Amino acid sequence: MRPNRIIRPIFAGLAALIALTLIGAPAEAHKVNIFAYSEEGKLFVEAYFPDGKAVEDGRIEVFDSTGARLLEGATDKDGKFSCPLPKKDDLKIVVNASMGHKAEFTLKKEDLGE
Amino acid sequence: MPRMKLIASVLSLSFLLSTAPAWAHFGTIIPSDDIVTKDDNKTIEVDVKFIHPFEGHYMEMAKPKRFGVMHQGKVTDLLGALEADKAKPPGEETPVTFWKTNYTIKRPGDYTFFVEPTPYWEPAEDTFIVHYTKVCVDAMGLEEGWDKPVGLETEIIPYTRPYGLWTGNVFTGQVLLKGKPVPYAEVEVEYLNESPGNTTKVEAPADPYVTQVVKADAKGVFTYAMPRAGWWGFAALSEASYKLKHDNQPKSVEIGAVYWVKTVDMK
Repeated sequence: MRPNRIIRPIFAGLAALIALTLIGAPAEAHKVNIFAYSEEGKLFVEAYFPDGKAVEDGRIEVFDSTGARLLEGATDKDGKFSCPLPKKDDLKIVVNASMGHKAEFTLKKEDLGE
Repeated sequence: MPRMKLIASVLSLSFLLSTAPAWAHFGTIIPSDDIVTKDDNKTIEVDVKFIHPFEGHYMEMAKPKRFGVMHQGKVTDLLGALEADKAKPPGEETPVTFWKTNYTIKRPGDYTFFVEPTPYWEPAEDTFIVHYTKVCVDAMGLEEGWDKPVGLETEIIPYTRPYGLWTGNVFTGQVLLKGKPVPYAEVEVEYLNESPGNTTKVEAPADPYVTQVVKADAKGVFTYAMPRAGWWGFAALSEASYKLKHDNQPKSVEIGAVYWVKTVDMK
């Protein structure tokens, strides 16, 4: 039996692990941020990394003050999401980026405007 | 004994001369918070002063010529929002004028506040002083904009991100005059001693400790390591190509590029 049979898959596994770690690293160093505001009856959400890079295709969830989920969606390639204002209430907006990077923003009822 | 008298007067004169350079002037912009998070109060107070930071002395400040903020490359004029106030600096009898405003942060990103003061006549130096001063406030986790020039007559461009600095960190910046680097620029550095938010006071064992001096390299880039927590001012001074009149006499104008950063202890 040639030793390569055993060693090769181990090396392949190790290489894959190292590659994964390397890909994962920049995202670890970059905290996901979320900002939301309301204008003219619409809700605007922006998700970004500290250096300004957009959080693409981040899952957006909006909750009211009782914790009920009002809607969900995803950010576009600019890290943006918008929808009609779902409720006049304290809103909690959560973004879920890849690999469990999560951030939330609370928009107070009094800051929703008319 | 006339000889003793002469020695005494020479001594007192040299004493006067030797103390004078310790009084470095600094245009100053200090915000009540330099990192505004999404949970912080979004309204900050911004104070504009003309001071000797280490000694805690204030100069009477006329209304600035220009005051504004740059955010996402856009400059907003805030001169109209500036209000005069008076404060009695520690150890002084009469209150002096400084300027302040409240500013509400609305969006993420870096906010660079800047001021162009009205020329200040300094009889002790026989010159006018104009310090173009900047400070950066970061908002809601977006660290973008701090390294962009505002386009002032002279200004410091930070090479070190100018917020989130620990005590002992270095601050590196580039000195620009009319948009071009100033080779071997002389940069004066002072610690904002005994001020609101900083009740401790550092005593300088000798004058050279008051104003630290570093020189920039051939590209106008300088570096300084900050040994204490608090606000640090960096002033790069040049002589203007123009003169201004005082009592009908043309006088030289010192133009300064000033930048302020805050350090925090690691604990």
